[in-house]
Amino acid sequence: MRTSQLAVGLAGLALVLAACSSGTDTENDAAGETATESAEEASTEEAPAESIDVIKIGSIHPLTGGLAGDGLQMDAGAKLAADDINAAGGIMCLDGAQLEILSADSTGTPEVGQSEAERLIQEGAIALVGPYQSAVASNMATVAERNGVPFVIDVAVSDDILDQGYTNTFRIQPNASAMGSQGALFLKELTDAEGIEVSKIAMLHEQSAFGTSVYEAFNKAAAGYGWTVEPVISYDAFGVTDLTTEMTTVKAAKPDVIVVTGYYGDGVLATEAISAVNPGAKLIYGIAQGAFDNPSYPGDVAGAGEGFFNVNYHLDVTNPTTLDIANRFETSYGEPMKTSATHSYEAVRVIANALEQSCSGDPIALRDAIAATDLESILATVGNIQFDETGENVNGSPIVMQVQDDAVVQVYPANIAEADPRFP
Amino acid sequence: MADKLIQTIPSPIKSRRFFDGNMIALLIIIMVAIPVPLLLQAGQESVAIRIVIFAILGLSWNIMSGFGGMFSFGHAAYFGLGAYTSSILLVNFGISPWIGMAAGMVVAAIYGVLVGWLCFRYKLKGTYFALATFAFAEMLRILVQSAQAVNASVGYNVPLIKGSSWWYMQFPAGSSNYFWLGLILLAGCLLATILFARSKTGKFAVAIREDEGAASSIGIPVLRYKLTVISISAAMGAVAGVFYTQFYLFIDPDLAFGAYRSIEAILIPVVGGIGTIWGPLVGSLLLAPLNDITAAILRNPPPFLDFMQGQSGLDVMLYAVLIIVVILFLPKGVFGTIKDKVKRR
Amino acid sequence: MVSTQTTASADSAVSRGWQLPPNAKPILVAIAIAILVFFLAYLRTDGSSLILTQALVTGLMAGGVYGLVALGLTLIFGVLHVINFAQGALVTLGMYVTYVVANDLGWNPYLTLFISIPLLFAFGALVQKIMINRSMGEEHANTLLLTLALGLLIENALLLTFGGNPQSVRTGQETVYNIFGAVATQSRLIAFGGALILALLLFFMLQRTSIGTAIRAVASNPTGARLVGVNTSRIYVITFAIGAACAGAAGTLVAPIVSITPVAGEVFNITAFVIVVLGGLGKVLGALFGGLIVGLAEQFGGILFPDQSNLLGVFIVFVLILFLRPQGLFSSNS
Repeated sequence: MRTSQLAVGLAGLALVLAACSSGTDTENDAAGETATESAEEASTEEAPAESIDVIKIGSIHPLTGGLAGDGLQMDAGAKLAADDINAAGGIMCLDGAQLEILSADSTGTPEVGQSEAERLIQEGAIALVGPYQSAVASNMATVAERNGVPFVIDVAVSDDILDQGYTNTFRIQPNASAMGSQGALFLKELTDAEGIEVSKIAMLHEQSAFGTSVYEAFNKAAAGYGWTVEPVISYDAFGVTDLTTEMTTVKAAKPDVIVVTGYYGDGVLATEAISAVNPGAKLIYGIAQGAFDNPSYPGDVAGAGEGFFNVNYHLDVTNPTTLDIANRFETSYGEPMKTSATHSYEAVRVIANALEQSCSGDPIALRDAIAATDLESILATVGNIQFDETGENVNGSPIVMQVQDDAVVQVYPANIAEADPRFP
Repeated sequence: MADKLIQTIPSPIKSRRFFDGNMIALLIIIMVAIPVPLLLQAGQESVAIRIVIFAILGLSWNIMSGFGGMFSFGHAAYFGLGAYTSSILLVNFGISPWIGMAAGMVVAAIYGVLVGWLCFRYKLKGTYFALATFAFAEMLRILVQSAQAVNASVGYNVPLIKGSSWWYMQFPAGSSNYFWLGLILLAGCLLATILFARSKTGKFAVAIREDEGAASSIGIPVLRYKLTVISISAAMGAVAGVFYTQFYLFIDPDLAFGAYRSIEAILIPVVGGIGTIWGPLVGSLLLAPLNDITAAILRNPPPFLDFMQGQSGLDVMLYAVLIIVVILFLPKGVFGTIKDKVKRR
Repeated sequence: MVSTQTTASADSAVSRGWQLPPNAKPILVAIAIAILVFFLAYLRTDGSSLILTQALVTGLMAGGVYGLVALGLTLIFGVLHVINFAQGALVTLGMYVTYVVANDLGWNPYLTLFISIPLLFAFGALVQKIMINRSMGEEHANTLLLTLALGLLIENALLLTFGGNPQSVRTGQETVYNIFGAVATQSRLIAFGGALILALLLFFMLQRTSIGTAIRAVASNPTGARLVGVNTSRIYVITFAIGAACAGAAGTLVAPIVSITPVAGEVFNITAFVIVVLGGLGKVLGALFGGLIVGLAEQFGGILFPDQSNLLGVFIVFVLILFLRPQGLFSSNS
């Protein structure tokens, strides 16, 4: 009996304590952030626009865990965008209201991404940007939808996120299917122009939703061009330590082109396998390959990636504005700016632009303004940022890059090309 | 003779009346918890719900491994089967998650009994049993990940509905109903644990845990009771999975079957106290919000910790250190240690 | 009470493994399965012997390193009865030691073995002394979770120090060697050879030195060992340290092959567990052979189930071994 009575006491105490501690948290928040309060009140009570002096945007990325290298950059990219906009006078039509980025760590897990999104909305964020991973994006999109707060996805590739009929979620990056079909189109155009005959293509892709949807879209487009895609080999990017056997299988099929889709580590393994096996294809062609266009890739594989193509979303290095941003990023952050970070920068720009249009701190007005976005992009795309009714950036397009003389250069389409593509 | 011996086996908890201390504690907890969502903000409420989900998962592990002594390292399988069964039924056929939950419980229990039977058939115990449960859970994850029929690695989004429905377990964002729904499920699982600990099954489970040979020699059908315990635990794990999916509205193979889920299932009762009724709840109260608390501290650090602000990785390090400290200094878990101290007096 | 039961059963499994005479039948079954797999793979690849040779070569190469990581794990388990979940993180630690020494001091990556091995040895000893030791003999779950938390701690400390971007210690163009038509790069051959040599060195150390004898004595009968004057707590420290050093050495050996990130060693964690069971808990040579088998299972699994993760083949082998021969394939070699 005694133990159970103790149990009563303890459990009750624990719950009361939990309730109390959450209570104090609330108080701390309220006391510590008077600025938030005014913004919050402004948004909830539809106060006149002039009372807004700080506008909060939630930025949720994986700041810890295996993807922290990108997540930290993306968070810094979002902050740089806010700093630039603030330095230029803030949101003009809201009397120079300043942007404030509230950063949160998704830890790479959807549960945490969701609760952090809710917390940031609670703390007054009127829009969210993030999150790099598709699974986290799916969860954040439901939060955005249910709270009526616009969510601009900087990077998260799975088609599925926007297939749910959500109205508050927008995506800047081209999705997996777009990369697969555009990749096929670019390959067709490049080889036709060069007079390279293509009939058989081998594909090596990582097996999660990302790699699989790139493959499916590519395969569909390839059928239209009369190509056979065979063999198709998928692998688990997080369990693989060697791709030599896979590459030997590819070699046995004697393909004209080898298409590779995946992340950084497996891209390096694929490169190693290609140089060891020497499969004899005319082109090595990455589609959304995380390594082939990374600035540190040519050095990491000691020149083994020379001549490899990659179709991917990218910052536009032929655009002086983009270069200026990337240079300032490198100065303050200490690392060269990754494409993913430029997308976060872009996401904040989209929100700031929409704030100028809507002239209010109201999330619903902001959502409508984002939907009507028509903004010149700092990314290498085919046109301004505009969203279709599902929230996809209609002009979000990948471009073709190539490793030339140990550097990654943009080679196609011609309007963004730094150099001509080289063929063996 | 054997029957008489069986009669003498003590129950894990003694109770002469139905409404004993544990029952009263349960009622008090429910009473205290009901107004909680009214005191919390939206971000905090989702932490409270995380506490509930992981408490259920911890309770489930505790039945099989705490009371039953069969160390499970593959609880993700039960959680995932529950989550997937209800999502498939809901997304493809529009069937209510309540029915999905019942179906998920059955599927998880069948899976648990099957794997358990295989393991016991080949006399796997201790570490080997643990590793086998782990291997099966991982195989499930790998198979689901590439099975187009269940959306492969994409997983399922629970379709949003307008308004609020208890039947479809879906409420507007920030609705307190989520917490109350979770509370109902948690209370159900706590009640099940109490009744289990008093029942003949619970009694035999503990006897088998303590000495399988002796239990068998006095006539307890060991295999049958072991499998019964596993099926109860599996069904409870499925409940956690279904509620998880309904709250987060999204599930994929990693979230459902990933090894991290199995680890969570162990961590919570270990920190709270293995083989006790209230241990998993205490463990979840401590662990589920820990990440948020450490992250919050590092976001706005007190002055002497200023240098830590914005350093990536620190919050997880702090989390790891706290787990290490609890395990080293309170090896029986928080609740288990306190309970022992009080008993000794 | 749970703990006494579980450790006792683990105990008996280990001691059984140490004493039982070799049982040939399951090994024959294993060989039969292997031949069947090979045959199916042959059909699957339309009779391309080149692909099969490559799978064999690649599987063995990878298996050598897996074996070295698992060797540390199996020693720790065999002697301390601790499932060390930080083993993968210790491999990562080895990689970063190599990265720092090779990049900052300009050493040849392989020479950093002389730093990574002693450093990880010392780290392992420290961890055992201040952490694992306090919790030994308690609940099974406790040491498991302790090492798990240790792994998290290591990974995130590395993240804090080096950031999350992949690092590399590659030196130049790889030389490629031809083995019966299959290919292997120089760094993979070195990793394989290095792992094999280190494993054999350790094996002879355990067989021939007094410390090795003491370790084996504690593994098979701690009470008895204590009675004949073995300082068991010292042996526990040394064993954990050796286990960590194995992980560190493996980290150095694979550093030139992989992209180094704070979670890069995780890959080795799961395979290591499978190998430990495959080889028999506490069996040094068993771990080495188990490593090779798992390396092959990964490759042939990839050929037989092309759309599945390479781990599926590994787990199928794992479950088969668990059911058919839970004491491990190599329980006769102690």
